[in-house]
Amino acid sequence: MTDMSNKSRSYSETPEEREFELRAQIGSTWSGGRLFIGMYTFLLASLAFSYFYLRSANNGLLWRPNGVTAPTSFGWAIYSLGVMTALLAIFGQVRLRKGSVIDWQVAGWTGVAGGLVALFLQIWQLTTLPFYPGSSGYASTFVGWAVINIGTLLFGTYWLETTLARSLRMRKEIGGPEPELSTNPSARLFRANVASMTYFWGFVALSSTLFLAMFYIL
Amino acid sequence: MTISAERPTEVAASSVSPPAQSGGTSWTQRPGWLSQHAGTAIILAILGYLLGHWMGNAISGNYDYIANSGQNAIADTFGLSFGVLGWLLGIGALNYPLAKLVGKEAAHEETVEGWSKYFRYSLDHKVVGLQYVVGVLLFMFTGGLLAMAIRTELLSPTTHVFSPDTYIKIVSEHGTIMMMMATSIIVGPLGNYLVPLMIGARRMAFPRIEAFSFWIFVAGYGVIFSALPYGGFPTGWTGYAPLQTQAGPGMVSYLLGFAVIGMGMMAAGFNIAVTIINYRAPGMTWSRVPIFVWSILATAALLTLATPVLFAGGLFGLLDKTAQTAFYVTEHGGSSYLWQNLFWFFGHPEVYIMALPGFGIVGEIMPVFTRKPLFAYKVAAAGMIGVALLSFFVWQHHLFQSGINPDMRPLFMLTTELISIPTGFIYLVGMGTLYKAKIRFEVPMLFCMALFFNFLIGGVTGVFLSDVPVNVTVHGGFFVLSHFHYTIMGGLLFAFMAGLYFWLPKMTGKMMNKKLGLVHFWTMFVFFNLTFFPMFVIGLLGQPRRVFTYAKNLQGLNDFSSMMAFCLGLSFLIFFANLMWSMFISPVKAPANPWESLGLEWQTASPIPAHNFERIPVILTDPYHYSEVGAPALADFGDGGLVSSNSTTGSSPA
Repeated sequence: MTDMSNKSRSYSETPEEREFELRAQIGSTWSGGRLFIGMYTFLLASLAFSYFYLRSANNGLLWRPNGVTAPTSFGWAIYSLGVMTALLAIFGQVRLRKGSVIDWQVAGWTGVAGGLVALFLQIWQLTTLPFYPGSSGYASTFVGWAVINIGTLLFGTYWLETTLARSLRMRKEIGGPEPELSTNPSARLFRANVASMTYFWGFVALSSTLFLAMFYIL
Repeated sequence: MTISAERPTEVAASSVSPPAQSGGTSWTQRPGWLSQHAGTAIILAILGYLLGHWMGNAISGNYDYIANSGQNAIADTFGLSFGVLGWLLGIGALNYPLAKLVGKEAAHEETVEGWSKYFRYSLDHKVVGLQYVVGVLLFMFTGGLLAMAIRTELLSPTTHVFSPDTYIKIVSEHGTIMMMMATSIIVGPLGNYLVPLMIGARRMAFPRIEAFSFWIFVAGYGVIFSALPYGGFPTGWTGYAPLQTQAGPGMVSYLLGFAVIGMGMMAAGFNIAVTIINYRAPGMTWSRVPIFVWSILATAALLTLATPVLFAGGLFGLLDKTAQTAFYVTEHGGSSYLWQNLFWFFGHPEVYIMALPGFGIVGEIMPVFTRKPLFAYKVAAAGMIGVALLSFFVWQHHLFQSGINPDMRPLFMLTTELISIPTGFIYLVGMGTLYKAKIRFEVPMLFCMALFFNFLIGGVTGVFLSDVPVNVTVHGGFFVLSHFHYTIMGGLLFAFMAGLYFWLPKMTGKMMNKKLGLVHFWTMFVFFNLTFFPMFVIGLLGQPRRVFTYAKNLQGLNDFSSMMAFCLGLSFLIFFANLMWSMFISPVKAPANPWESLGLEWQTASPIPAHNFERIPVILTDPYHYSEVGAPALADFGDGGLVSSNSTTGSSPA
């Protein structure tokens, strides 16, 4: 989420001002990450509303004729990979706090691979659906969920990958025996970004659980 | 935290910037034609459209339902989507996200001087603010021309200029363009330009997201406008299903246009909310935040939380058009009411997205011209937050007539009436500020006064409309049309004009011509009321909206309204002439603080330095201590001097 303006700074800054700007940037990364989750929540809530609205309306008895369900094996596989990526991100962050940058990077890259496989499976699942997209309310909302999930996995994996790529380029700043304690501005910003990214993946895992129940279990 | 007021002995290297740079100068900021700018964006948008359309045809051309229908929504969607992508690529919005994939930080941004910076992906919030001014004015004049076409058609119930089909498409395009423009008309230009200055910040939190919000706003304008060459859409701005499902390719432009502009709205709200939360200068406690900033914060919250629902609604509509889902197709297990719910869950907060910044502007301007503190500042701030919260609980009143369970009507009637309470608080704050004031009737103040007059009419009719019996009686008629024009045009647009006349001297360094401004105000105020007030009567006499003919006995009123509408259009030409005259033909240099305002934005140097403030100011009190003897100093600017709160000169310390 870090989005910094690297304009040439022709103006002067006192040390206090530099610290103030840094704190504001860290705060922006933190609150921006949470606000983004709020936006994402309303997007998912729209889908959940649509699901329950059409389910309760059951127009023409066409909510879910014959109890048709999207391919369950795909669904569980995509869900498991998403949760795995979230858990790896959380594990990596814990290890990063304890000073093990390499652990975070290994967990992160494994998570990126998991996210990409989940993304691939989600697209593949769309091509092998046992129902026509417009055949029922369930079918329509499922396609809607699949499209939103593709966007979610794409964005989440992009965020994870860019954070990892950044960490490779700034090994010196975040490295050392106790990187969590590093007061280097870049390291502090980086940690705020990792925290927001991890928080987002945690939320993705939670929301995926809800939609897994809605589309495959209920 | 305390900011030192001492002069630093060093020029700070960008210590907060990540050390790794991609090197060189950003393509968005290179001088010359080979860099990225609006021209390259247009070229890549056209190429993207052609590529996308070809791909869409290649993918889906042999599908039976497409081959037999004579239209290909998949190709249209691909074309427009790739067009938007090409636009973003051409302007440089994707440089940084792509560079991040390999861990690079953004390239060094070299500020381009001169007019060409306004055609580039600028990270300066002041440039983005002025870009937005031009963008929303372009939107507004396009929608205004369509309004003139509507009133021309309504001159006669029997002699027609347009066919009924063309007429409804003009009405739809007018409504959609105006509503999309109105969501950004204050947040975009004034919010982006002024918020950092008002909170004592040197920058926005996410300048690239801010620039993205503008350039995708322009792309959204293009997408919505593309509906016309596609044959338009017949649904009005509300896009109701099942008409939406049955409509031709113009409907794709509507749905995608909403989604694209929705992304811009979310980006703008997100960036501004985060900036206000994190970048307030030391001492700028929540009780010292200017009322305009409060209004923008409440609006930003609505933009970030309500717009995703519109985005989802548009996405589902596009899926119905392209993937043949049935979200809004009742016969296939969907529901046309689902669209209404999703649309209005966004659509009613949108009303307050438009109204709140207007109240913020008048709350900011009135103390300056009354030389009195803002009356009940905390009530105004609380009222804005209250309106923002309540606006999420009223959307079902738009469904009173179209399918809501009758048992639910009283609940939503109650919530709708409740929202008039915090709105009333804000209104009374304005009245309290005017009470016993010695008013200076400058042009911005006149627009503020007009807002209160117009909004009173719009607001009171709104309370009537929230009552089910009245709502059922006048639903779908000109009464409703007049009501929302009074609130949106009479409120928001008058506030926008007040804001432009008030802040353009700071934004451009040039004064707007006062005589032309007065002519503009009086013509706009008089002809606005003469255009729209008769429509209440026309509505009560039974004329429905969106129909190109009407009962013969209503022709007199309609003709009067149309003639006044043309005069209203003329008043905007006067504004445009004033803008050209004052900015380009005969510019008059503006004093540093022509209105003697205490606002922080007026206390920095003119023209405003690239980074707003030489020193980050330390705020000592709120900016409304007008005419108070012994009022505390406003702020410490770190240059050895304090700006007094009861200063009448508004001296610039920088």
